[in-house]
Amino acid sequence: MTFATFIAKNALRNKRRAALSILSVAVSLFLLVFLMVGLRLFTHPPETAGAELRVAVRNKISITFLLPARQRPLIEKIDGVTAVTPFTWFGGIYKNEESTTFAQFATDPAKLRQIFTEMKMPEEAYTAFAAERIACVLGKLSADKYGLKVGDRIVLTSSLYPNPMEFKIAGIYSGTQDDKNLYFRQDYLDENSELKGQVGMWWLKVRSADDMPRVIETINKTFENTSAAVRAETERAFQLGFISMWGNISLLVSLISSAVVFTLLLVTASTMSMAVRERFREMAILKALGYRRHMLFAFILAESFGLAAAGGLLGIGGGYCLFTYGDVPKMTNGFITALQVTPDILGIAAAVTAGLGILSSLMPALSVMRMSVVQGLKSLD
Amino acid sequence: MEIHAVDSAPGVHYQLRVMADTSIVEIRDLTKTYLQGEIKVTALDNVSVDIAPGEFLALMGPSGSGKSTMLHIIAGVDRPTSGTCRVQGVNVPNLNESDLADWRNQNVGFVFQTFNLIPVLTAFENVELPLLLTRLNRRERREQVENALSLVGLKDRMKHLPRQLSGGQEQRVAIARALVTDPALIVADEPTGNLDHQSATEVMNILKSLSGQLGKTVIMVTHDPKAAAFGSRTIHLEKGELVKE
Repeated sequence: MTFATFIAKNALRNKRRAALSILSVAVSLFLLVFLMVGLRLFTHPPETAGAELRVAVRNKISITFLLPARQRPLIEKIDGVTAVTPFTWFGGIYKNEESTTFAQFATDPAKLRQIFTEMKMPEEAYTAFAAERIACVLGKLSADKYGLKVGDRIVLTSSLYPNPMEFKIAGIYSGTQDDKNLYFRQDYLDENSELKGQVGMWWLKVRSADDMPRVIETINKTFENTSAAVRAETERAFQLGFISMWGNISLLVSLISSAVVFTLLLVTASTMSMAVRERFREMAILKALGYRRHMLFAFILAESFGLAAAGGLLGIGGGYCLFTYGDVPKMTNGFITALQVTPDILGIAAAVTAGLGILSSLMPALSVMRMSVVQGLKSLD
Repeated sequence: MEIHAVDSAPGVHYQLRVMADTSIVEIRDLTKTYLQGEIKVTALDNVSVDIAPGEFLALMGPSGSGKSTMLHIIAGVDRPTSGTCRVQGVNVPNLNESDLADWRNQNVGFVFQTFNLIPVLTAFENVELPLLLTRLNRRERREQVENALSLVGLKDRMKHLPRQLSGGQEQRVAIARALVTDPALIVADEPTGNLDHQSATEVMNILKSLSGQLGKTVIMVTHDPKAAAFGSRTIHLEKGELVKE
C-alpha cells in the first residue's frame, strides 16, 4: 500500500457519497464553463473573416431610424472606401411561424459579395441573385430547417411593409457567422415600400486597416449637421453596441457564477466535514501510530482535492468537448453559431476546482490537526 | 525489588514504589489534572511506578481511577500536569509533537478495546500502516507484515477486510499492527472488553507470549481479573492513586 492508495480508499469508502460529490462538482463546473463561454460570446463576439475591413454606418440616434439613400454616393466617394451596400431590415414572418425566425435584409447583391467575402456560394448563384428582381439568397441553416432549395419560392409577410413579398431562392450560402439570414435586393424592397429612398443602414468595406479610422471619421463628419447624422464604427464596435443594449451582462454573469461557486463550496465543505467527522477516531489512531499532524492534514486535503479534481475533469472536460466539438448551431437552433472555450476559461475553471478542493477541506483538516489522540479515541463512530 | 516508604512517620499513607534493578518505564510523582467545566478533576495524583523490561503489567481499578490516563501518558498520547515519565531513559512528556509522533511509531504498539482497524483497509494494509512511516521498502514491509500476522495466526486472512473477520480475529490483527514495528512497549487498553470468553483467552495468550517469548513489555488496562491473571504483576489504582497491595 502507498499513501496514494490509502487516500484513494478513504475517498471512495462511501461510494455513493463520493459519486454525488463528484457529480455536484461536475455539474457546477460545467455550468461555470457555460457561463464563462456565454459571457465571452457576448463580450468578445467571434470575429469573422474580413471583419477587420468592414464598417457599419447607422443613424446616430438609433438603428431603428432609417437613412436616406442619397448618402450612398457621398460615402462611395470617400478615399479608402471600396464598396458600399445598403442593409435594410425586412422583419418578415415565414408561413405559420409566430415571429421572425431568420433575419432578412435588403442589399445590393454585387456589393454584398464584395463586402462579405466569407459568404460562400456557387458563381451561378451570385449571377442569378444579381440578375433577377425577386431573387434572394438564403443561409444554409434556414434552408435545412425549412427544407428549402434553389429555385423554391417563398412568401414573407412583414408588419413593417404593406404587402407580403415573394422571393425566389437563387442560392444557398454558408461560411458566415450566421448562416441563417436571407438577403434580397434593395430595389425590390423599394417597389414595395412607402419608404422608398430610405435604407436601414450601410455596410462598407475599406481598402486597408490603416484607412479605417480616417474613413470612419470622414463619414461621421460628412453627415454631422444633417437630418440624418450617422454613427460609423467598426464591425466589432457595432456588435458590442448591440450587446450593451442588454445591460451589464458581464456583471450579471459574474454574479451568477459567484453564486454557483459559493453554493458548491458550501456543499463540498459540508460533505468533507461529514466524511472527516466520521473518521475522527481513525485519525486519532493514525496519530497514535505516529502519523504527524501535517500528514493527516495532507491526507484530508488530498482526498478533497481528488474528489474535486474528478468532478472538475468531468465538468470542465464535458463542457470543453460539448462546446468545441458539438453542433452548437443545431443545439441553439441557430441562435449561437460557435462557442469558444479558451485556455483562459479552462484555466479559471481549473483554478476554481483546485480552490474548491482546498477550501472545502480546510476546516475539517484543522479540526483533525488540533484534536488530541485521547479526544479522538473518545469520539463516537 | 524494594519497597520504599515516602515517610516513615506513623499513620502516613505508604506510596507504593516498586523499583526494579533496570526499569524500562520509570514514573515519578506523576499527576494529571484537567478541568471538566468548572470542576478540577485529578486523574492521577503523585503516582510513582517502575516497570521492568519484559514485564506483563496489569493496571486495574474502578472506572475513573486513572488507569487509562496513566497508560496514555506512558504511551506518549497524553501529557501529565507534573511529574516525569521515562521510557527507556527518554522523558517522554518533554518531547515535542513531531518527536513524540516518531517516538510512538518506533517504541509503542497500541491495542484498543474496540480494535480500531481502518475498515476500508485489508488486514495486511492495517498492519502495514505503521511501517509506511519507516524507510523500509515494499518487499521489506511485506515481510514484516507477514511475520506479524503469522505470529498472531492470521497470515491466511491478510486480504480480508475487518468486516470479514470475527472480533477475536480483528483484535489479533490489531496486535499484529502493534507488533509490526518491533516496539519495546505494547500498551493495551481493555483488549478483551469486546470479546467473548474464547477469543479473550486467545488474545491474552498472545499478549502473554509477547511478553514471555519476545521480551516485549506489555502494559494492560483491564477491569477483568481473569485477564489480569495473565499478567506477571498487577497494580491497582483508585481515585488517581496507587493502592497499596
